[in-house]
Amino acid sequence: MSQLFQEAIIVSILAATIRTMTPLLFSAMGELITQRAGIWNMGVEGTMLTGAFAAYIAATTTGSLWFAVLAAILAGALMGAIIAFMTATLRVDHFIAGLGLNLLAGGLTLYWFQSYIQGRAQPTFSGFQDVAIPMLSDIPVIGPILFSQRALTYVALFVVPLVWFLLYRSRYGLELRCLGENPKALDVKGLSVTARQFAAVMTGSALTGLGGGFLMLGFSDRFLADFTAGRGWIVIVALIAGNWKPKGVLIAVIAFAFLESLATHLQVLGAQVPHQLLLALPYLASIVLLMGVRFRTGQPTRLGIPYKRE
Amino acid sequence: MIRFEPRTERDSLWTATSFAIAVAAGLAVSALLLASTGADVGQVFAALVQGAVGSPKAMATTLVKATPIILTGLATVIAFRAQLWSIGQEGQVFAGAMGGYLGGQLLAGMPPLLFFPGVLASGMAAGMGLGWLAAQLRNRFGVSEIISTVMLNYLVIYLLSWLLQGGPWGEHGTTISYQQSPMLPDETFLPALFGSNRLHAGVLLPFLAAALCAVVMSRTPLGYEIRGLGYNPEALRHKGVNIARTVTIILLTSGGLAALAGATELFGVAHRLRADNLVGLGYTGIIVGMIGGLRPLGTVMAGLFFGGLASGAVYMRVLGDVPASLVPAIQGITLFFFLCAGVLARYRVVRVAVQ
Repeated sequence: MSQLFQEAIIVSILAATIRTMTPLLFSAMGELITQRAGIWNMGVEGTMLTGAFAAYIAATTTGSLWFAVLAAILAGALMGAIIAFMTATLRVDHFIAGLGLNLLAGGLTLYWFQSYIQGRAQPTFSGFQDVAIPMLSDIPVIGPILFSQRALTYVALFVVPLVWFLLYRSRYGLELRCLGENPKALDVKGLSVTARQFAAVMTGSALTGLGGGFLMLGFSDRFLADFTAGRGWIVIVALIAGNWKPKGVLIAVIAFAFLESLATHLQVLGAQVPHQLLLALPYLASIVLLMGVRFRTGQPTRLGIPYKRE
Repeated sequence: MIRFEPRTERDSLWTATSFAIAVAAGLAVSALLLASTGADVGQVFAALVQGAVGSPKAMATTLVKATPIILTGLATVIAFRAQLWSIGQEGQVFAGAMGGYLGGQLLAGMPPLLFFPGVLASGMAAGMGLGWLAAQLRNRFGVSEIISTVMLNYLVIYLLSWLLQGGPWGEHGTTISYQQSPMLPDETFLPALFGSNRLHAGVLLPFLAAALCAVVMSRTPLGYEIRGLGYNPEALRHKGVNIARTVTIILLTSGGLAALAGATELFGVAHRLRADNLVGLGYTGIIVGMIGGLRPLGTVMAGLFFGGLASGAVYMRVLGDVPASLVPAIQGITLFFFLCAGVLARYRVVRVAVQ
């Protein structure tokens, strides 16, 4: 009996891991594209927050979740355009531009949110539900973990090989990686570095915004201040820990998601630890993880350095 | 045709013009933002000005609101000038209040001349501890201070939440426990200035700290190292400067300044330990420091401007239906235009003949 109980809990933790992983994975793959193009986008947190907010507004005004997904993607792309303008066009220091974006996003979303709900109860929506794939979801243990998830989770898992293919097997990918390694080579050939960085950052930020949007649509029914609660920073940690490679980033994201779902389950199981300690686990783990990462062979050599034609 | 060319020398008139344009553009976009939510733009701005400088009481509030953000702004200046991108000010403010609270309990009953310096020092020590940790993580393990300080911020905030909710410092009612400590005794309130009940002596600290920072930055070997680290760390290393040691000193100083903001808020304004009035002070300090051009004097001016916005927001909320979160929104917008103006200031407009 207790064995069955344990198995149910393990299945539940693993299923939650896959679910929790989804928003982080979208955002991390987006940031991977951005950073491979040489832009150190520190505005992930703000981009995710804006995506989540756009999704919330769209979901509560139109009632359509797919419209909300689209809103999150567009909001993310818009944030990407701002970052690209600051870094690729104006050549503002990448860290300062990203920090500025985070602070702007925090302020704007909170103001619009408070104006939106002023004088009434906060509107809520009902988010994405699990889609059980027929037959496959009936397989014991693996079924509920892998084949009874939100539709977008399947999409997120598909994004990893897609990004891999884009980076390593397409001409766009070759040019994109060139932006982060040797932008001069593109410039000499008469190709616009700025235009390509705009495209990369906007595509990447659209994915990052989608991550924020799914965090809203898949896990909540309302918006709160600081809704993303540092997940954007964890995405950046995952990129460093995953050595800027799709598979490595995937593994790092799974590790974080596992930790988060473990923390929520420990709470449900009534573990005798303060819940704040469990909430702090991912942040603690980030620091410890980075202490162990010494060699960053995968880091694009021109990452964070504004390109200037000599 | 008009073209932009990089400037070789500074032109202070053009610099001033571009920053004036930035303020104007920031206000214009803020007005658009207000209009987008259906607020009466003229009325809101009038209320903001009235609440910021409209009366002696309003000006006192402005000064009180400016105090913590000038301090966190200075903390930003010290770190960012050295290109150490510490975002730990937010957590260090919390640590400063927590360290101050602990010091207040240990020093209870001491004469004021010992008590107040003691609690401010214990608050600063807590923030310096966080700065030291970030420095060690960077020096020994190569962990970027951007990431480590953000993670430490969240850890500190959860620690305070635990101390106040499940832990030893909370105020426990009969049925519910609030996320705050019991009220501090009257004799621990920072003394008031000019018999005003809101203007506490702590408002003098940012000016003192700014003057000290200005002297340290421009007149001391440490200031030279701070600027050198931001400018050309390689040259600094060749001069025989111990970079790791310099990084540690800078992050300690920055942490101490930010923590001072938290301790001052605890003993000067809130008089009880709680998170509400501390949230965002660190992040606002980053904006204030950057808008101040990473200079102590500029930071004081930007801090007073933002203090006025915060003070005006109180008035605005009473008068109109505008959410107080308008202020962080205006701050973020202003920051962006200042970043653009900083670029603009380095270029000059050149008229080019069309061929």
